Amino acid sequence: MDLFVAAFGFGLVSMSVIAIAAVGFTMQFGITNMINLAYGEVMITSAYVAYYLNRAGLTIWVGMAAGALFGALFSFLLNRFLYAPFLGKGTSYLGMVIVSLAVSLMIANLLLPIVGYYPVSYHEDAGRLIRWGGIVLTRDQIIIIGIAVVLMLAIHALLTYTRLGKAMRATAANPTLARNCGIPTRRVIDAVWLITGALCGMAGVVAALDSDSFAIANGATFLITVLAAAVLGGAGQPYGAMIGAVLIGLITELSAAAWSPQYKEVVAFGILVLVMVLRPQGLLAKRGALAAAG
Amino acid sequence: MLAASQPLVTADRPMLVASDMHRHFEGLHAVDGVSIDVPAGKITGLIGPNGAGKSTLLAVLAGTLPATSGAIVFDGEDVTSWPAYRRARHGLVRTFQLPSEFARLTVLENLLVAAPKNRGDSLVGALRGRAYWIEDERRLVQQARALLKRFGMSMKESDYAGTMSGGQKRLIEIMRALMLGPRLLLLDEPMSGVHPKIVLEIQHYLEDLRAEGLTILMVEHELHMVERLCDTVVVMAQGKVIGSGTMSSLRRQREIVDAYLVG
Amino acid sequence: MNTYYAVNLLVYAGVDIIACLALNLQFGVSGIVNFSFIVFQAVGAYAAAVLSMPPDTANFGFQHYIGGYSLSFPIPWIGGAIAGGLLAIPVGFVVLRKLRSDYQAIALLVLSVIANAVITNADKFLGGAAGIALVPQPLSERVDSGTEPYQYLYVGITAVCVVIVLALVNRIVNSPYGRSLRAMRERELAATAIGKNPVQLKMTIFIVGGAIAGLSGAILVGYIQVVAPSIWLYPETIILFAAIIVGGRGNNVGAILGALLVPVGFEEITRFLNNSPSIANLGPPGLIPALQWVAIGLLIIGFLWFRPEGVRPEARRVFEGAPVRED
Repeated sequence: MDLFVAAFGFGLVSMSVIAIAAVGFTMQFGITNMINLAYGEVMITSAYVAYYLNRAGLTIWVGMAAGALFGALFSFLLNRFLYAPFLGKGTSYLGMVIVSLAVSLMIANLLLPIVGYYPVSYHEDAGRLIRWGGIVLTRDQIIIIGIAVVLMLAIHALLTYTRLGKAMRATAANPTLARNCGIPTRRVIDAVWLITGALCGMAGVVAALDSDSFAIANGATFLITVLAAAVLGGAGQPYGAMIGAVLIGLITELSAAAWSPQYKEVVAFGILVLVMVLRPQGLLAKRGALAAAG
Repeated sequence: MLAASQPLVTADRPMLVASDMHRHFEGLHAVDGVSIDVPAGKITGLIGPNGAGKSTLLAVLAGTLPATSGAIVFDGEDVTSWPAYRRARHGLVRTFQLPSEFARLTVLENLLVAAPKNRGDSLVGALRGRAYWIEDERRLVQQARALLKRFGMSMKESDYAGTMSGGQKRLIEIMRALMLGPRLLLLDEPMSGVHPKIVLEIQHYLEDLRAEGLTILMVEHELHMVERLCDTVVVMAQGKVIGSGTMSSLRRQREIVDAYLVG
Repeated sequence: MNTYYAVNLLVYAGVDIIACLALNLQFGVSGIVNFSFIVFQAVGAYAAAVLSMPPDTANFGFQHYIGGYSLSFPIPWIGGAIAGGLLAIPVGFVVLRKLRSDYQAIALLVLSVIANAVITNADKFLGGAAGIALVPQPLSERVDSGTEPYQYLYVGITAVCVVIVLALVNRIVNSPYGRSLRAMRERELAATAIGKNPVQLKMTIFIVGGAIAGLSGAILVGYIQVVAPSIWLYPETIILFAAIIVGGRGNNVGAILGALLVPVGFEEITRFLNNSPSIANLGPPGLIPALQWVAIGLLIIGFLWFRPEGVRPEARRVFEGAPVRED
């Protein structure tokens, strides 16, 4: 039983990490209709940016900020110079999936000769252990949970109260109508890539911080976990992604305690496939997964 | 005065009876309780202002959009649960408002692909080789070429359908639908964007088809065309049927004139 | 050029051509973005392996796998094809029905990753991470596999398979059925409106393609005598997609061209680069394979931007008796 309570605690951390990533990913999809398969690689690249800063002596929190900045810039440029032109050319969403897959491959393999195959870790003293009930977490893990909560509230505030957020929601619902109502959709989309890119970068550093070590190969794993949370919650729904993250975080940690940690990813993948099969629109259904008319 | 939701009273047997059709999607009631009878062997017009739900109704009748509720009986058979392809094979065929040609197939191929009776149109048929299906193919090529000639597109047979003009694409869609040997044709603005000379051709062709017993339900904006071609007309607004009958009887109904018709 | 090198090249070319013909059928002609393609090749290899291997207690029992029926050629190869086709049934059933096409692609990609992870971790099933080695070569009981004539024999039976597959695929693509597939690819909704059943069409092609992919796997495992998860990671599918996109979508000549340019071409370039020490030792280890992947990505993006139809585009079908086009 203690094992499961402890696993619940890890689940809290897991869901925090996944939530930051999944919300960014799902917003990219919700507002631009792009399934950005390069998301995992951008995460891992940001993690490495923080790693090199860390090796140069800066703290991991500086690294996190740098990772967020890098993620924002990288994602923005990726859209500006690759995705948007292809979309402008009339490439189908299916074609964009192929493009983003090719991009993810390129990022991973451009990075590989630079950083090498071997896993690395941050020089960071995770802090003292904090116990609460049967839950045992380090100070850093608590901070991660805190960061996630703050970011989720910030996104909520962005979408509900700011003009930009409302413009984003309008563009997500109906881009043509939004444009006709005078919303500068191009600038909104730029803002989306910057903000979600920042989330992506931050998530990468946080995920790397939460693991003992990380390597390029983790990029694909990150991506699929993020996909699982996003699809489970309902593609394009930020609040859905949060719910999805909670569920995936808990289920993977609990199953790791019940069976074996090896299969943690497989459980996440399995959930993804199950959702796609049984309820492709996810929990907070809107549009998206089901065969589109036309 | 005809009440809005009463089905059209007609002496002829209806080819299609739709009862209380609804189509809701994301809060929008595009089709909101529509019941219509489409009389057999006649051309029925479907008119109404933009956004009335005419195209959506057509899609729901054809099955390319699922209905939220309602029942459709086609030639005596309940097709409510049938997917679109099954309805098409059974003779209930639609065309689209937006160009829906198969772009990287030639014009002739666009017609051929619709023809149902081709021995080569199955995996086993294909594997049996050319000799097995070439006779069917030749017959269908002749049939398709006759159609192309009728609509003046013979010279374009080997051009990619995607390179055709808007009006030509519309023609291709009509011809494609005709290759299926339909019994009820759902046409979505068939004349829009077409050269006036070809419009006349289409009109004559539709009249000929009606004489041969084909039933047609067509969405059309041009009221003079509707007057010339349609035996009876259904008027929609905001997802509902607000009137039906002949054009002259409709003109006498004040609320319809107010809502839509001008003069 | 020594015989071994030539044979190696030819067998790999044969395997890649067959694989590309299958993927072209699924992707180029029918529009199914099968990101799990490599799994079907793998299942064919595993099936051929466990059909032709002796029981796993043999060879000092250092491997663990199911089966081991010591069947001889051509049964393992037929078994490989059947395995590929059978796998396509549940996968297709689950993925190809209700989802929109980009979701389908993602689901298949994820399936590919899961399958690899599961097989790697399931030690007793199909050899786990180490895979299955010492797979007997077909017809090695009749002809001594160490000799030159055996090499030619292998090329021969591979070539026969290529010819058979090509004939089959040609018949499918250049028929009214192929036309229906292409129409579905172009505009699925309009295709349903003219009576095509997209689910049935996709399932059929998924199964046929899967079977052909399985055959290619059987041919491969018979030659290199080993199959392991590291050979069929998900990026291997991407190489084949690059081949189709580069060579030319929707037509068999394009698929063959793509197979020769991309998988075979890259294989040869790697061999060449590795054989010249000055280049091979340039930069950090693993630079060349990494750059290869970058090149694959660039090829895909480049071709999709500049020449999406590929080097050899789909041919225009002109029927006998057609009027001369004014061009």
